[in-house]
Amino acid sequence: MSNVISAQNLTLAYDNGRKEIIQNASFNIRKGDFVFITGPSGSGKSTLLKALYGQLKPKSGNLVIGGIDLAHVKPKKLQELRTHLGIIFQDYKLINEWTVAKNVVLPLMIAGYSMDVQNTQAHRLLKHVKLAEHADKYPLELSGGEQQRVGVARALSKNPVVILADEPTGNLDEYSSNVIWDLMENACQQLETTVLVVTHKIPTIFSLPYRHFIIESKGVYEVH
Amino acid sequence: MKFIKNHLMFILPLMAILLGIEFYLVFDRTTDSYEKGLKEGYTMLVVAKKPMTLVQMKKRNSHIASAEAIKRDPIVSEVAKGVSKESKKEILAALPYFYNVGIDSYLGTRELEQIKHDLEKDPSIKRVETFGSSYSSAYKLFSFIKFLLKVFIGFMGIVSLLLVIKQMEIWKYAHQERMQVMEIFGAPLMLRSGVLFRIAIVDAFIATLLTSGVFFYVKYIWAPKSGIDLMMQKQEELFQTADVGLLLGVALLLVIIAVYTVVISSKGVRE
Repeated sequence: MSNVISAQNLTLAYDNGRKEIIQNASFNIRKGDFVFITGPSGSGKSTLLKALYGQLKPKSGNLVIGGIDLAHVKPKKLQELRTHLGIIFQDYKLINEWTVAKNVVLPLMIAGYSMDVQNTQAHRLLKHVKLAEHADKYPLELSGGEQQRVGVARALSKNPVVILADEPTGNLDEYSSNVIWDLMENACQQLETTVLVVTHKIPTIFSLPYRHFIIESKGVYEVH
Repeated sequence: MKFIKNHLMFILPLMAILLGIEFYLVFDRTTDSYEKGLKEGYTMLVVAKKPMTLVQMKKRNSHIASAEAIKRDPIVSEVAKGVSKESKKEILAALPYFYNVGIDSYLGTRELEQIKHDLEKDPSIKRVETFGSSYSSAYKLFSFIKFLLKVFIGFMGIVSLLLVIKQMEIWKYAHQERMQVMEIFGAPLMLRSGVLFRIAIVDAFIATLLTSGVFFYVKYIWAPKSGIDLMMQKQEELFQTADVGLLLGVALLLVIIAVYTVVISSKGVRE
């Protein structure tokens, strides 16, 4: 199967290249892979994810996602690439002054879909994450677990090629975490979406075959 | 309440800037005719040994706009009453030529002295009297008032701009998170900043309307009853319909710059 993400001799750094976080990492991720990235705090897990959605430019090497090299991407192309990604954050990053339904369809709004399509999709997705009755509420009226389900629904709304999740269950209790894992497993299985999850610990309830990368001592290693 | 406060925080400084601009325009228009009067009422006296033309004088200094010869016969008649015709002719022959010389614009005393200096270089010219002191006092007072007005408007503009910058910081605080989330999901700049643009453009229209309202009031209600000659005579110049367009243009330009600055500074850091 073709590679959706590919890194060759990738080095990521902060402080204008002075503080290197990841050095000379090489890996490939195929379409439909479910990938866990683990490692100690501060090892560079979230940094790698930031680089994958174009928030951090590689210092050297190549990082290709969906055929676009993020080391040399132009702003317009990066903007387009981001519309094909579903991103889930530990702190949800919902827009608090928007309703839950409007948050869910943000990627569709950006892509210019009609209001009818947006409304239909919002209803379908909120039903899928079991939040249909909360469509008109605002994020701060929901619990943490519910807010993260809104985040997952938003990430799924445009059938993304890749889902990037940064500690998606980091702030949630066990029950809410299991719901989130279930939703992501479904996305990978049913839609063949490539899913990359940065997490401290791989969930025990996980039933799908998956790949496991560890980031340690500035290197990225596959262990499973 | 918070909504109104947020709008007023931007509308008021914007209004102060617009009021300053319009105040300057109105002052400039109403004083223009006063300035013209001062200029037109002023002439210097040139005494020449022989007849001279305007072209000859203009060659000496380009600010000279008119040269009107003062008739010599009435002077001789006045001076030489009861004198024989021959003697009168001799007096007339000996009498120099006098000219009232006008200038093209409102000039300072230094420029007047320069004109005098240039004219006196001409061997045909005996003397130039600028009557500088009375002209100078009116000119200095007028210039001082204009200068004070400019300082006041400039100061008001700076303070207002600082308030606009303060409001931009509030906007940034209020909208940054939303704009960054939208940016991460690939929203183009116009979509990210749409809400902010709408708010700012509405504020620009409100500020323009309120400023225009103030000047319409001054023009149609206050000025006719003010008892100030200048205001009553120049009522038409107090506010013109075209000014609304100018004010709106300035207001929109300011808000576009302000919003773009906020949007650009709110972009997610791409290191």
